[in-house]
Amino acid sequence: MPMLAMAAVMLSVATILITWSVMGGFLKTLIASGKTLVGDVAIVWPNVGFAYYDDLIERLEADELIESASPTVETFGLIKLPDNRIELISIKGIEISSYSDVTGFADTLWWKPIDKPTAKDHQGEDIRLEPGYAELLDQVEHNGQTMTRKNRITGETEPAGVMGIEVTGLNYRTAWGGYYPLTPSRAMPDGTTQRLETFMPRDGSVGLTILALDSTGRPIDPVTQTIPIANEFQSGLYEVDAGTIYVPLDMLQRMLRLDEAKKVERVRDTDNPFDVEIDPVTGQVLGPKMREEIGIDPARVTTVLVRGVDGTELEEIRKRVHEIYNEFALAHPGEVPDAFNMEGQVKTWEDLNRTMISAVKKETGLVLFIFGIVSFTTVFLVLAIFWSMATEKTKDIGVLRALGASTPGIAWLWIRYGASIGIVGSVIGTGLGYWIVSDINAIHDWMGRAFGLVIWDPRQYYFVEIPSEVDPSKAAIVFVIGMLTCVLGALIPALHSARMDPVKALRFE
Amino acid sequence: MQTQAAQQGQDAAVRSEPILSVRAVHKTYKLGRVKVPVLHGVNLDVAQGEWVTILGASGSGKSTLLHLMGGLDRPDRKPESPASVRFRDRELTKESKRALDRYRADDIGFVFQFYHLLPELSVLQNVTVGGMIKYGRLGYRTHRKEIVDRASGLLDRFGLSHRLKHRPAELSGGERQRVAIARALINEPSLLLADEPTGNLDLKTGESILDAIIEHRRDAGLTLVMVTHDERIAARSDRVIRLADGRIEKT
Repeated sequence: MPMLAMAAVMLSVATILITWSVMGGFLKTLIASGKTLVGDVAIVWPNVGFAYYDDLIERLEADELIESASPTVETFGLIKLPDNRIELISIKGIEISSYSDVTGFADTLWWKPIDKPTAKDHQGEDIRLEPGYAELLDQVEHNGQTMTRKNRITGETEPAGVMGIEVTGLNYRTAWGGYYPLTPSRAMPDGTTQRLETFMPRDGSVGLTILALDSTGRPIDPVTQTIPIANEFQSGLYEVDAGTIYVPLDMLQRMLRLDEAKKVERVRDTDNPFDVEIDPVTGQVLGPKMREEIGIDPARVTTVLVRGVDGTELEEIRKRVHEIYNEFALAHPGEVPDAFNMEGQVKTWEDLNRTMISAVKKETGLVLFIFGIVSFTTVFLVLAIFWSMATEKTKDIGVLRALGASTPGIAWLWIRYGASIGIVGSVIGTGLGYWIVSDINAIHDWMGRAFGLVIWDPRQYYFVEIPSEVDPSKAAIVFVIGMLTCVLGALIPALHSARMDPVKALRFE
Repeated sequence: MQTQAAQQGQDAAVRSEPILSVRAVHKTYKLGRVKVPVLHGVNLDVAQGEWVTILGASGSGKSTLLHLMGGLDRPDRKPESPASVRFRDRELTKESKRALDRYRADDIGFVFQFYHLLPELSVLQNVTVGGMIKYGRLGYRTHRKEIVDRASGLLDRFGLSHRLKHRPAELSGGERQRVAIARALINEPSLLLADEPTGNLDLKTGESILDAIIEHRRDAGLTLVMVTHDERIAARSDRVIRLADGRIEKT
């Protein structure tokens, strides 16, 4: 019976540790992916953006806490896909060099030659491994890194976009977490079929339609542009990879009218009230004499992303960035949003991903709560087992009382027994949980091969592998809970034994 | 016919003050709603070093009387004739549970008919467990060597030195009872309460067990109260008390 109690504690501890570790690892991976696209801190002024960002970036990069900074423009628009579907998409204008410095974006480019298979690609089926595609993939990787693509008809190099690998829905996600482009055909009105180009980086293009805004945020008119695709990226966040396209910053600035432009203003040319403009046709007085004044409306961006020096606290970087923005705003009074308005607009990557992180945290909490309740039944299991053991040992308790054992002494004996079983069960359970989590992917693969049981399918879950890290502090907490569970389960039988009448105990049959 | 040793013990008992005195002890048990009276005003004195045998049929109240003497149970409260169980100068009926626990650990040794050894423990551990109870977990660490030496000595004396690491299940009935006696004696009690110690053994083994107890009693000056229904055992004791329907018939 003690072995049963120990097994109950062991399984309970192992279950909670595995659940917590996998869900915690899932959250950690998700957060890391979220950080990849944002850097540490973002200065955000959506829609109309802010000017003189080059000056701001220069000031930021001069600071010892800041590693690099990059300007971006973010907006939403419509994308027309190769199969003529039109979807809503998040469009980001970036300078790929500085953007990669801040976020590691270049590493997320999917189409590039690789030397060794990914973790789950045991058969080496990834087309990126094939030497025959190496030259093409080299070119495509270069295109992605420069956000350009050579037009095969004109021979000119054109600015190009990089979009999420899931945007078109035409990249098939394999069971080992890789991709290969599908080759669907489209029925034409004349009864023929047309093969669709789905490997976007070769000849694929998409149409982007966005609504440009003026400097006050009022819509001007929709702008449509066809843009070739240089490469596709996989960030690790499905929502991002299925709904984001990156385009060159200057292209998006032009489309949104955020680029540098000549500014023409009509101003009064004279102080003489009798110096007026007269309509040459009707002879009517139109008003005071005016002249045109030509200036420069500087280019604007909606976001500046900042990466801090490694090891610096996130909040410290945020505060420093805000201070630098204050100095920047003072240098451009009336031309950029003032520092007061920017207080809530300097955000850490955690702030920007708060909704997503919070959702996963709540999900983790919910799963743990459910498993916690299930595991709490262990208390009752241990209680039932100990009650049965205490009944079986009634005569022994009577003997111990006859030898002079006190009531607390008997209770303490059972509690210590419970604690011992709890410790052994928790040690084995923690070890078992640790081992399962550490080798969870190998175990999962074996289950798939042996029983066809695939719980974590990379086609459904976005991460290729199940998170397999055990946090020692979590293991310690689960260990203590396992031990306390056993002590709690032993407590009532312990008190029952201790309060047993020794004479009745000795006569117990 | 009493032995010479028994005669000497009886003479000594007559001379000394009672170590245990039982007065007006009544005991009633409840079986559901039914009250079952077991003892009806029992009076008994046991002198220091004396061997008293309590004889009686099953259900006569022998074991109940033994339990009351050992502080395992308390007599009924009767205001008109208050019961008294006195050990030396201590009135046990007025002592707390904790004090009675200490009394059993320090001054009393119990031997049962069915040995009641703890099956998970070895022979040596079954004997030393009494020492653990007496000194407590921390105190046992300090006295461990002393207790183990004494336990080994007792087991050696009872011919079990080669069985120290065996479990009770590996022993014969006689060997188990010897272990139980060694356990009862580990704390050097003044009073040994034995509840039919030979009742579960064959004649020859029972005799050898009895010899072991008598020998130790003689050497240690132990007071012995033994419950039995065996007239031959009773004949070897200093004094015989006959209990019938909860009353002492004859001393």
